[in-house]
Amino acid sequence: MSLAAAIAARDPDLLPSRRDEDWRWTGLRELIRVVPPASPKVASVAGHAALAALGWPTLVFANGHTLEEASIAIPATGKGAFVRRFVSASDGAAHHVEADVSVGEGGRLVLIDSFEGEGAGYVASAALSIRLAANARVERIVLLDDAEDAISVARTDVDLAPGASFHQTVLAAGAKRQRFETHVSHPGAGVNVRLDGAYVLTGKRHSDQTTVVAHAGENGITTQLIKGVATDQARGVFQGRIVVQRGADGTDARMAHHALLLSDRAEIDAKPELEIYADDVSCAHGNTVGALDEAAIFYARSRGIPEAAAKAMLTTAYLGEVIERIVDEPARELALAWLTGRLERLA
Amino acid sequence: MLNISNLHVSVGSKPIIDGLSLAVPAGEVHAVMGPNGAGKSTLSYTLAGRGGYEVTGGSATLNGEDLLTLGPDERAAKGVFLSFQYPLEIPGVPALTFIRTAMNAQRKARGEPEVSAPDFLKRVRAAAANLRMDMDMLKRGLNVGFSGGEKKRMEILQMALLEPRLLILDETDSGLDIDALRIVSEGVNAMRSPDRAMLVITHYQRLLDYIKPDRVHVLAAGRIVASGGPELALELEREGYDKYASSSQSVAAA
Amino acid sequence: MAAVQKTIDTVSALEAYEHGFVTDIETEFAPKGLSEDTVRFISAKKGEPDWMLEWRLEAYRRWIAMDEPDWAKLSYPRIDYQDAFYYAAPKEKDGPKSLDEVDPELLRTYEKLGIPLKEQAFLAGVQGSPKIAVDAVFDSVSVATTFRAELAKSGVIFCPISEALRDHPDLVRKYLATVVPTTDNYFACLNSAVFSDGSFVYIPPGVRCPMELSTYFRINASGTGQFERTLIIADKGSYVSYLEGCTAPMRDENQLHAAVVELVALEDAEIKYSTVQNWYPGDPDTGKGGIYNFVTKRADCRGDRSKVSWTQVETGSAITWKYPSCVLRGEGSQGEFYSIAITNGRQQADTGTKMIHLGKNTRSRIISKGISAGKSTQTYRGLVSAHPKALGARNFTQCDSLLIGKDCAAHTVPYVEARNAHCTFEHEATTTRLSDDQLFYCQSRGLDAEASVALLVNGFVRDVLQQLPMEFAVEAQKLVAVSLEGSVG
Ligand SMILES: Nc1ncnc2c1ncn2[C@@H]1O[C@H](COP(=O)(O)OP(=O)(O)OP(=O)(O)O)[C@@H](O)[C@H]1O
Ligand SMILES: [Mg+2]
Repeated sequence: MSLAAAIAARDPDLLPSRRDEDWRWTGLRELIRVVPPASPKVASVAGHAALAALGWPTLVFANGHTLEEASIAIPATGKGAFVRRFVSASDGAAHHVEADVSVGEGGRLVLIDSFEGEGAGYVASAALSIRLAANARVERIVLLDDAEDAISVARTDVDLAPGASFHQTVLAAGAKRQRFETHVSHPGAGVNVRLDGAYVLTGKRHSDQTTVVAHAGENGITTQLIKGVATDQARGVFQGRIVVQRGADGTDARMAHHALLLSDRAEIDAKPELEIYADDVSCAHGNTVGALDEAAIFYARSRGIPEAAAKAMLTTAYLGEVIERIVDEPARELALAWLTGRLERLA
Repeated sequence: MLNISNLHVSVGSKPIIDGLSLAVPAGEVHAVMGPNGAGKSTLSYTLAGRGGYEVTGGSATLNGEDLLTLGPDERAAKGVFLSFQYPLEIPGVPALTFIRTAMNAQRKARGEPEVSAPDFLKRVRAAAANLRMDMDMLKRGLNVGFSGGEKKRMEILQMALLEPRLLILDETDSGLDIDALRIVSEGVNAMRSPDRAMLVITHYQRLLDYIKPDRVHVLAAGRIVASGGPELALELEREGYDKYASSSQSVAAA
Repeated sequence: MAAVQKTIDTVSALEAYEHGFVTDIETEFAPKGLSEDTVRFISAKKGEPDWMLEWRLEAYRRWIAMDEPDWAKLSYPRIDYQDAFYYAAPKEKDGPKSLDEVDPELLRTYEKLGIPLKEQAFLAGVQGSPKIAVDAVFDSVSVATTFRAELAKSGVIFCPISEALRDHPDLVRKYLATVVPTTDNYFACLNSAVFSDGSFVYIPPGVRCPMELSTYFRINASGTGQFERTLIIADKGSYVSYLEGCTAPMRDENQLHAAVVELVALEDAEIKYSTVQNWYPGDPDTGKGGIYNFVTKRADCRGDRSKVSWTQVETGSAITWKYPSCVLRGEGSQGEFYSIAITNGRQQADTGTKMIHLGKNTRSRIISKGISAGKSTQTYRGLVSAHPKALGARNFTQCDSLLIGKDCAAHTVPYVEARNAHCTFEHEATTTRLSDDQLFYCQSRGLDAEASVALLVNGFVRDVLQQLPMEFAVEAQKLVAVSLEGSVG
């Protein structure tokens, strides 16, 4: 039961629905009556100025096909900075893409995955995997810039060897339905996983960030900070699950989701879940949903800052906390520019 | 300069300021003292324009201009500054960014040009040095993790940089150690000028030893029940508010 | 340190499950199994009006078409609904006219449980101790309700629901199933078809109920399910505090308890509902026996400024499936949920609450403390939602889990749904184990391991214990200690 299977078989009965517990806020069967035809192969896509400006090696996938054969494999102790662009280029068509990354022992990678909608009304599915050998380090930034009327679901499976570290920041602008899933199998053993995210949603956009981290070994660390803003009739969804398996003692897991609602017709749904089968653990999660702090707005205004500017300043600061955690500087700048651009559309 | 006449203010549906009149001419410093819960902070929030403080009667004007119909930012642009009893923390917004945004917003509202970055930094350095504040503190999120005393200094720093005309200090002395009290008072005194007025809310003579008031008012049960010279503060220090508590009740009963 | 010493004394004074005895009493059963005939039998036994029988039959027909829910983190063998008695009642000659006529064996049972059914016993009891009116439900029927005359003086109705159906049919009909509709869920639907007794409470406008009301549920007969139904209505401006206690004998078989509790709070009314649930949890080593507790409890804060507060101490049952909830409909209404849940041995509990904010400026507060020990599994499951019209809605949730031992599990599954820009929801949750340092500290002061655990756990659950009425708080504190016996080696 998945979007990929439904696309392959052109059978909407294979789509997950609201009645499936994990899809209660992102049902697809209710939305897709007929699975659209397969997306055509395209020879080229438009450029992306901000990504091009990085000057990093770039892989482009258009409608699920690579434009030229290439893959990312960072050898042991190697270093790399890559961009992958997953472009949905055609209107009203469906495609599924699969891609892998592997990083050798002690290797380092900064990876930017950009999901872009050039077309309209498309249905896109992606299954990605990232494998990290011992002591490898990956920092991944994901930009979700789907078309407003698109349906887009991507899943990444992350597999970590001892001593590795995986940091991810997902920046989502939403779509008609947008879901980004990250599944991490966490070996413990000093591995540090950070799964952050931010979303800025306007109009009728929907965005769902779903994460599952399964701690299988001792002394693993996971931290998560997801922050979002929804206005108009937009809908933000966060589902986070941290599983600590039997024997995964010494696990330290912290999950936080905070969201601002800027309109009475917008909606935030959250399910921060802990599933713990070991006793020597320290796990916590926090979740808040609300409006901007009235007292802070008044404080800023009492210093002469007009209301709209005060709100914009506070909203930027609110989401900026996520961006600040990005270590790689060019990646952080890119993320900040993305956020600023998206926030401008809020006003 | 500041003229408050027969002011009535309710919070929720509870009347708190109850027919308060007070005038602070330009160039003067007036102290307001009074028991806990008398309405001192309510008065200062009302003057600054905080939401939820409903004016049900009376007026407040600054140089003849009605304050009460203006938004808080508009009042700030006109020169109203409130040093908060409990300053807020704003994570993610460094103090420097915050103050500069405020300064430029006020200038824009007054039709003045923006302050240049080097000019701004120069002013901040000078003001921070006067208040013995570390520039590093100004790069962190505004007031985040600051001690009570540090927050109060940050208020005065903002006041020094924004150069307001009506200065309202709500218990700026609480939370300050002895040295900080002196430093902050010097900062306030440096701002005394013939075209500024100050309203200093405090519980203690200590602050008034440094910031010498021209007049002292007693605020009890939502109105001014006594006014006098600096000696009134000394008398309060000795005798407390007992006699005003009863007199205000009898006034209320009458 | 007096309180501490008291806890320790209590722990050593008590056996693991002290309510495990069986009362030997002649019992009348309905034929085994569930069919329309069973439903008719129960309705006839109760002498119910026709509309009630029809209502039950309708529920039964809907129930057969429903599926048992499987979303909870619980695993148990399929329940054979045909292999149980749906009605069991102590045989009585003509039905007791007063307490004096109640079978002395029954009175002894309740005495043994520490529940006074004799009003004079109460009066003769501890000087100055507050009066509590008690409705005692034994298997499928209410056997005694105390202090009714005194309550009637202030217009309070407190009686078995079967009697309310006879004496106050209009009131019952007006409110029954308006909070938990017949087909709300599988177990509520089953209850609607076969419920046999339970308590009915009506507090008239402006009345502050002059004493605590309480119901004690006791499952005694073997092979029997208990399906009680409680309906409490607090009319405008009234107040009532209601306590509920439950126990059952130790038996090797699993017994089903599927209750429905409905609370209605009208304008400015307040209901405080406290539960100490101490059903037999099953054998701690083999997991054999114990009660399956599938309960639907819901409050409708129908009137403006009404308030309902649920407090629960859950220590018993083999399986617990229970989410006392508040529908905050009235403007400015408030809901609270305070919970201590302790699982040990092989117990499984999936419990929590729902706070559904529909009205403006509604407020809710959830404090949940879960303790898992032994090989038990515990899940907190909670929903907080705000409707687009629930402007100004506020919720605060604090949800802490404590793990004792390597083989237990603790899960936290909160759902948050916010649908307007003027609501404020805050949720915090932690999962930790009992700190070795704290244990060592207690032991270095002379407490043995078990007493140290009891002490620390009592500290962990303190915020909730404080919400219980005094008389219950002491009992609950004892229970906390007893439930954790054998959890540290
Ligand atoms: N938001 C509010 N809602 C309800 N009552 C309020 C609110 N704010 C203030 N009050 C009440 O108004 C009264 C005056 O409060 P205020 O803070 O103005 O007193 P104060 O004179 O500044 O006292 P203190 O010396 O303790 O600072 C108090 O009784 C206070 O409880
Ligand atoms: Mg004050």
